[in-house]
Amino acid sequence: MADFKTTVLSTLQNGKNVIEQIDALKKTGTDYSINADRTDRTINKYHNDNLKLRVNEIIEVNKDVKTFRLVSDDCMLPVFKSGQYLNIFTVIEGVRTSRPYSISSSSKQRAYYELTIARVPNGFVSNFMLNEVKLNDVFEASNPAGEFVFNPIFHSDKSVFIAGGSGITPFISMLSEALDKGQKRSIKLIYGCKDYATVLFLDLLQEYASKHSNFSFDLVLTNKDEKVVTEVGFINKEIISKLVKDIEGSTYYICGPQIMNDFVVKQLVELKVKSRWIRREMFGSSPNIVTENGWPAELNGSEVFTLTINKDIKVKCNANESLLVALERNKVRVNVCCRSGECSLCKVQLVAGNVFLSKGSLLRHSDEKFGFIHSCKAFPISDLEIII
Amino acid sequence: MHFDSIIIGAGNGGLSAATRLATKGQKVLVLERHNVPGGCGTSFRRGRFEFEVALHQLSSMGSTEKPGDLRKLFSEYGIEDKIDWIEIESLYKVVLPSGFTCALPTNRVDAQNHLIEKFPHEKANILRYYEVVYSFFDESEDFAKAQANSTGEPSDLKKFVVSKLFSKKYPTLAKYAMRSTQDVMDEFFKTKELQLCLNTYWCFMGMPPERFPFSILAKCTRIYIEDKPYYLRGGSQVISQALVESIKQHDGIVKLSCGVKQIIVKNKKAVGVIDEFGNEYTCDNVISNASPIDTYFKLLDKKDLPQSAIDQYRQYTVGISALTCFIGLDCPPDEIGFTDSFNLIYEDADCNNAFKNAYELMPTTDPLVTTCYTVDDPKVSPEGTSVITAGTLKYGKAWMELPEDEYYDTKYKACDIIIERLEKKFKGIRSHIEEIEIATPLTHMHYLHHPEGSIYGFEQDLNQSVFFFPREDQIENLTFANGWVNVCGFGPNYLYGATVADGILKGAK
Repeated sequence: MADFKTTVLSTLQNGKNVIEQIDALKKTGTDYSINADRTDRTINKYHNDNLKLRVNEIIEVNKDVKTFRLVSDDCMLPVFKSGQYLNIFTVIEGVRTSRPYSISSSSKQRAYYELTIARVPNGFVSNFMLNEVKLNDVFEASNPAGEFVFNPIFHSDKSVFIAGGSGITPFISMLSEALDKGQKRSIKLIYGCKDYATVLFLDLLQEYASKHSNFSFDLVLTNKDEKVVTEVGFINKEIISKLVKDIEGSTYYICGPQIMNDFVVKQLVELKVKSRWIRREMFGSSPNIVTENGWPAELNGSEVFTLTINKDIKVKCNANESLLVALERNKVRVNVCCRSGECSLCKVQLVAGNVFLSKGSLLRHSDEKFGFIHSCKAFPISDLEIII
Repeated sequence: MHFDSIIIGAGNGGLSAATRLATKGQKVLVLERHNVPGGCGTSFRRGRFEFEVALHQLSSMGSTEKPGDLRKLFSEYGIEDKIDWIEIESLYKVVLPSGFTCALPTNRVDAQNHLIEKFPHEKANILRYYEVVYSFFDESEDFAKAQANSTGEPSDLKKFVVSKLFSKKYPTLAKYAMRSTQDVMDEFFKTKELQLCLNTYWCFMGMPPERFPFSILAKCTRIYIEDKPYYLRGGSQVISQALVESIKQHDGIVKLSCGVKQIIVKNKKAVGVIDEFGNEYTCDNVISNASPIDTYFKLLDKKDLPQSAIDQYRQYTVGISALTCFIGLDCPPDEIGFTDSFNLIYEDADCNNAFKNAYELMPTTDPLVTTCYTVDDPKVSPEGTSVITAGTLKYGKAWMELPEDEYYDTKYKACDIIIERLEKKFKGIRSHIEEIEIATPLTHMHYLHHPEGSIYGFEQDLNQSVFFFPREDQIENLTFANGWVNVCGFGPNYLYGATVADGILKGAK
């Protein structure tokens, strides 16, 4: 190596030394063309957004609840944290849509993921899942995601799980994480259900409670049942105070229907629990957006508006459905994962018109500055123009 | 569809190159695999907080009256007046294991006086050091200008004259440009503590002083003092998005969630790309903002790959990654004693030796780069809260070798060490954590798709950076704009993106 640059640099103090080192490195260096796929291989162990999951087993829990055991035939399933969800895609009546479901199986094994899915009245996807899905059906799914997890850095070692109905599913995985692994945590589960017949995973919960002195659970039923003695009513501050020993020193994890979720948070705040110790699963979509605070009084939800996409496509959208649903219904492909305002995958740029942003939409400062909205949380309240 | 230029990747270098080309009338297409533009120039939300991923202090901004190179560039791009810039009040605070602390003001004279006050016996050396730093910078600028004005390959006579006269014309460059920071520090200062107050920028770059080019340190020192460090409301994601908007205003196309699968080569020239969905686009130039390793060895068909591409990178080593905790607190910064925004906390004052730990998983003895954004911008998070990032630079290999079942536990363990170390300096910090997220080298690998999760490209040491970036293009019409071919950092890469674009515009004329 004796080009001009080298000649000049060699005249600098320490220059010769550096040039000599470089010459030596050239002889011993790395051939980066070998193993060029190493980056992909490493990433795929943790993140694979193109999962193809096959239904390997269907366990009928009751007539309205099934557990689906999903396996992958072409790759090792990525690791996940207990409490995370999986967004699975389906095509129903020609419409491609998706739903995030908490993984109920243990994060300690990666042979399969289990989703326990309960029927939602008039639920577009849940009814399809319960009525139509058969063994060996294949779903596309995004990587496990979500922040509803135990964080040992700042969460208390006293955990209170508050579940409502099928909101028990992430806790089943979290219990296995905590108890099977022998974490030194004490866990109290307060589980609210309509009646005794709808309690899910009862056998498993009883087994855990009998085996592990650091776990106990209480059922809170809306309808009194003659056969069992439980708390009756809603999970309110009186019940929480009665069941939880260290109110202010525990971390609370809440997963259930939106109404219950909001109600319980309010109870905890009244009990002076710090907000850092109230962890809640994402805000789901409101069953009826019109009832949410801030909804414009002059609209009743039945309005139909024109949505212009990328300047050239015009479709109809309804005030009471999110933009995301409108896009899916009109077969416009958008990225999507959490459907709850957190992940930002479904964001679109609003160029003209107004939307109502449902609560829980975690926008970045730059999103607000440049007009981006999360389509899963945005409801049309006028004609709209968006860019995808 | 045909474009003048296609840019692979919407990171800082890619976006800047695309903006320059678009504003100069080129038809550009930017393809980005992620759904958010910016690469490292981004942020994310957790609970009530928005966390900046990578930007600490933006360089080369200068004031509106005396704009630096970057402010001028952003004005040209039409984004300067759309952003709320925040001038940062102090350069940094160094915290040593002995308890010694030193917070440097951004003004040169104040900084000198502050150091003289702390180290009176080194007064003459301190003054002489700053003189050298400033002369070094001025000579570099002159030399760069002379280089830019010379056209074509110089004659033998000119080569002879330049090599003989270089040290006369550029004495400071001749003396210091090829030396390590440690070497220069030892020449000037006897006191180790003082060295640590002045060589701080090594921690940004992830090269220990004995390997860190003094040249980069001198330029950082001069630029941050003269142009002041800046931050902006909303963080670096705002710059990234503003650049995208500027590209679109100039009829450019930015496609997100649309990665490139292949670069099309015909007659040894890059003539287009194919995206992950199989769509083909043709163009006159391809600018890759992806790593050269991915670009050459993944995006090119094997038959199009020249041996020279393999040879060019042989001497280079993939550089360091990072381990960072993003922390949202439910109290204001002063409640836990946070006063300066940018802190460098040492556990071991022998930083060259302590650097060995960068290859290990746990951040036990590594210096902690700790930034509290709330100090400079109280509006960065809701009232009564604060946002802190604390981390250190770590190599990716140990994390890559970790069995994936142990990943989350290891990540929490590493984070726990960082919080424990912060707790000693900022009592009560743990009890105020409301949100925390941890990024490991694997996180950076996932989002940047860089080998080994490298955040700056190849090692920025004496053998691989400054004069030795791998800038020779191995395929005609395929070039690079990123930290793999240029000094790392936000400012340098926005500026370098423009330089690359200018090269293309020159060739097109």
